[in-house]
Amino acid sequence: MQTEATLAQVDVSELDLVKQCQAGNTEAFDQLVTRYRTRVFAMIYNMVHNEQDAWDLAQDSFVKAWKSIGRFRGRSSFYTWIYRIVMNVTIDWLRKKQVKGAGAEFNDAIQLREIEPASRTVPKADPLPHERMERSEIRARIDNAIAQISPEHRAVILMKEIEEMQYHEIAEALGCSIGTVMSRLFYARKKLQNLLRDVYENI
Amino acid sequence: MKTFEEKWTAWLDGELSGKELVEFEASLPDKAAAEAEKHGAHKLGALLKEQLGAHALSNEDFFSHQLRERIVRENGPSREPSLEASTWWTVRRLFLTGVASLALFVICAVVVIRDKNPGEQSQYLTQILNARVDPAVSPNATISMFETKEDKVTVLWVEGLQSLPADYAAK
Repeated sequence: MQTEATLAQVDVSELDLVKQCQAGNTEAFDQLVTRYRTRVFAMIYNMVHNEQDAWDLAQDSFVKAWKSIGRFRGRSSFYTWIYRIVMNVTIDWLRKKQVKGAGAEFNDAIQLREIEPASRTVPKADPLPHERMERSEIRARIDNAIAQISPEHRAVILMKEIEEMQYHEIAEALGCSIGTVMSRLFYARKKLQNLLRDVYENI
Repeated sequence: MKTFEEKWTAWLDGELSGKELVEFEASLPDKAAAEAEKHGAHKLGALLKEQLGAHALSNEDFFSHQLRERIVRENGPSREPSLEASTWWTVRRLFLTGVASLALFVICAVVVIRDKNPGEQSQYLTQILNARVDPAVSPNATISMFETKEDKVTVLWVEGLQSLPADYAAK
């Protein structure tokens, strides 16, 4: 558990790193990437559900962050700032993909279902095949439900429920008002509750 | 003024308090159903958190390495200008090559056209055409001329000429 002092140290060193980045220090940027790459990747993965796409989008996001770091004024945390870039990159990509209509959106979920029959090869400590099947079915239901909501609603619900971000942080990350965040959360939850009620009521 | 959606979301997330909370709960037509919805929303949140928990990034070091490479490639101060310069030179070279080719074409065209249209007729032919046969010396003389411009040949067919005038010879 972090104390206020350690939190302050983290904040100060993060600002220092940002200043060094603004001076063109790529080593400092590398340290910032190391801090946030896992969270950024996980967030994007939950939006697009494809490892390769998530990897590429995370790379694009960090490159964009490097190119525009000179415009970071420190009015918000670096974390919120980078999330805004991540969300812009990912939502743009999802919109373009929707327009193109290229294939199934959640490729990895499909692969997961296809791979499942080989589960007898997994070690004994892993869940039993029928349990894994059940989990993969639940996961597929969730993926399918999330795919039915807009990228903006998807971003809001993931940031709130998975990242446990505050309304104002989500608003900063998405560049919208707190009221819009709350409104989007309302509709995203309603939609997901309708689609997944039988799933969460039976667990 | 908050909308119903904003108040509902704040209520679900436990962000309403005091007078606002009392007023909102009093405005609900069916509080039991609303509580059930709230409970369901919390279950949904827990389900999402459990199922969509942090997806690990494999090959973290390679991720950073690839990113470093890309940043150097896209923003490297030493490489980008040379790339721009080489692109600019290529365009310039293309333009100059085009201009040179056009000039060469024009020169060749002019030479060929001039070659195809031999300009003035020869001095000899002019001299022959201007000459007149003296009717007193050769009253029945006829002179016919056949000219083939393509072959650059002119044939004079002379008939009934009694004597060749002294000034008839081409000079």
